[in-house]
Amino acid sequence: MSGLASGLLHPLMVPAHVLALVALGLCIDLQARAARIAAGAGFALGVAGGLAAIAFAARPTSAIDLLLTATLLSGALAAAVLPLPSLVSALLAGLTGAALGMDSPPQAISLTVATMTLIGTGIGACLIFVVATVAAGLLRGLWKGIPLRILGSWCAASALLVLALRFARGLMFE
Amino acid sequence: MGLREDIHHSALGSPIGYSAVIGYSVLAVALLLLFAVSPALAHTGSAAGGFVGGFSHPLFGIDHMVAMVAVGLWGAFLGAPAIWLLPIVFPPVMALGGVIGILGVPLPAVETAIALSAMVLGIMVALAARPHVAIAALLVAVFAIFHGHAHGSELPSGADAVAYSIGFVAATGLLHIAGIAFGQLARWPLGRMAVRAAGGAIALAGLVFLRGIG
Repeated sequence: MSGLASGLLHPLMVPAHVLALVALGLCIDLQARAARIAAGAGFALGVAGGLAAIAFAARPTSAIDLLLTATLLSGALAAAVLPLPSLVSALLAGLTGAALGMDSPPQAISLTVATMTLIGTGIGACLIFVVATVAAGLLRGLWKGIPLRILGSWCAASALLVLALRFARGLMFE
Repeated sequence: MGLREDIHHSALGSPIGYSAVIGYSVLAVALLLLFAVSPALAHTGSAAGGFVGGFSHPLFGIDHMVAMVAVGLWGAFLGAPAIWLLPIVFPPVMALGGVIGILGVPLPAVETAIALSAMVLGIMVALAARPHVAIAALLVAVFAIFHGHAHGSELPSGADAVAYSIGFVAATGLLHIAGIAFGQLARWPLGRMAVRAAGGAIALAGLVFLRGIG
């Protein structure tokens, strides 16, 4: 599999990344148009920044904990149907994107393949975020939006359990 | 107000319609099929990693399962907003209980509380009890903490902990939805009797669990 294709699929292969993107999509879809646009821009910038950081990182990061924290926040906000100011939406999306990027180190032996993998990961993450947001829009019209809120609640609960598990095992921010 | 209006109105709106009943019924049938292959008691410590392990864990414990279904059934008698608040609020509260269990904070008589939850919730359904929603929520939340504590202490620490947690939470939520679906039968007189009878059966099962612990 080429580096680009591998990168495109990477966010789908990691359960924590899928969970984070779904939770963020649910949360952002509920927001006003300006906040959604700000979130989209924030996410793209965050992913780019996170991938750039991992490209220059000397050692692995503990970005997974940041990603799970962002997932917890996004899921809880979606479950509570809370409106967010544009700046907060952008920051939440940016945090999620940056953590996702920093948690996606490429598994490649050549610089070219690694670079293509990182580019693919960035494109893939943005595409999945868009798909998650569109899907959340469809859910919003279903049964008075209750399934959307239930999914947000499940995302938050799952993230909380994993964060607690990592804390208890001494894995958090190690 | 940045929030979209349709969602905002739904928070104050009417109960779920017939399309919801059909959808819930499909989920209920799927879960009843799963019920048929769930003979063991919960909390045996045999949790495996991954989504399938997490999803199957709540379904392989009849004490946990009947209590979750009873929560959904009770929602049918409590009506809106409790009927849809329960599947939204219960998983995070249960996860808080799970956090307590994961962190090793002891709770007294966890298994007794779980058996008691089936009995009490079953009685509430059988009596078609309609206390104030705050009292119902408090009662369910207390039981949720104990259920979460029991399961939280069994979460695996492998690389697939995220998938396991997603499966575990989804299965628990689907059990609620199965209960809500069955509870929709209470719209009709015969169905109401069937739902109340199911509550009685759950209460009896809870009593059996209690005697088994004792």
